[in-house]
Amino acid sequence: MIQPQTLLNVADNSGARELMCIRIIGAGNPRYAHIGDVIVAVIKEAVPNMPLERSEVIRAVIVRTCKELKRDNGIIIRYDDNAAVVIDQEGNPKGTRVFGAIPLELRQLNFTKIVSLAPEVL
Amino acid sequence: MAADSLTLARPGPKPGPAHVHRNIFQITNFSSYPLTSHNALSSLPRTMRAIAASPSPFSLRLHGELKKTPSPAFLSNKDRSFPAIPPRSVSLLSSRRPDHNPSEDTDEMFDELFNKYGKVVYSSGDRKPTSAEADDDAESLSFAVTLAKTANEVKAADIRVLFVKPLVYWTRFFIIVTAFSRPQIDAIGSRMRDIAEKQFKKVPSGDTKPNSWTLLDFGDVVVHIFLPQQREFYNLEEFYGNATPIELPFDSESPFRY
Repeated sequence: MIQPQTLLNVADNSGARELMCIRIIGAGNPRYAHIGDVIVAVIKEAVPNMPLERSEVIRAVIVRTCKELKRDNGIIIRYDDNAAVVIDQEGNPKGTRVFGAIPLELRQLNFTKIVSLAPEVL
Repeated sequence: MAADSLTLARPGPKPGPAHVHRNIFQITNFSSYPLTSHNALSSLPRTMRAIAASPSPFSLRLHGELKKTPSPAFLSNKDRSFPAIPPRSVSLLSSRRPDHNPSEDTDEMFDELFNKYGKVVYSSGDRKPTSAEADDDAESLSFAVTLAKTANEVKAADIRVLFVKPLVYWTRFFIIVTAFSRPQIDAIGSRMRDIAEKQFKKVPSGDTKPNSWTLLDFGDVVVHIFLPQQREFYNLEEFYGNATPIELPFDSESPFRY
């Protein structure tokens, strides 16, 4: 359940470290974003000497939330942090590698690129 | 002996889709570090450590084939029958690490325990027998090779077909292809879609508009079409370096184009 002002970790090596959500992309004025939703975020903390810098506005897709993700077969997955992967306007990830466990829901939402870069797919 | 009363399902030899009954998995500390970090996993409770340490669906299957509500007796048996897992042996339970210490707990030891004392308690019956799986693999292989041939006809460069089923459970083959312009990406994409629909009756999900990294997801087979800079940038072959490459019936090394 990510909403504007939420701080998220960055799960890739794009250069950003921490993002703050400022808007949720989607129809119908969504209140909260969940895993697989695209958000507009501003970079609050960045790694030095990388293409992304602090206070840049970028898009990201949420890959982990502290709010549980429920599946139809009864599995509930709950992570320990909120994390996102920085993407560009075309939907390609800006970093080359992704860290941590990625849920398979992203494949259905057309983020198979992130899934194919993931070290572990749940 | 405590292990006699322990009934555990025998996990399958290959990773497959996870089918777990009503269990809540609390994933701890997966955020900043790759899964092989020692300090992250030493703080987990004992019962969860086995899941976290072998994070592949291997472990999810293990829990899935247990009875739905494990009794307290079972949980305490589990603690007693397995030797203590020292915090630094996290890497041992992951079958993919080649540098594990053979004198501590290994997969072979667990396999032995399963062989001696394990019983199938419940199998959900959706795993196919090995022969049927091999047939499916052969079918996907022929599909992948056909798609690679169509890519070759459109003059795509550096076509690689990788067998990723041992590494990744959600697909079988990756096809990685370089195209040199967006119209060419469009052409490769539409040809692959046509052939897949006519011959194999499969419709892909993925990118409809050409993109510098275009992805076509056919379920068992995932096609990556890159522009040359993107291919070098993302370097998927390095990430999937452990996958077996498949021999193609044509010469795919054509880096030059005029």
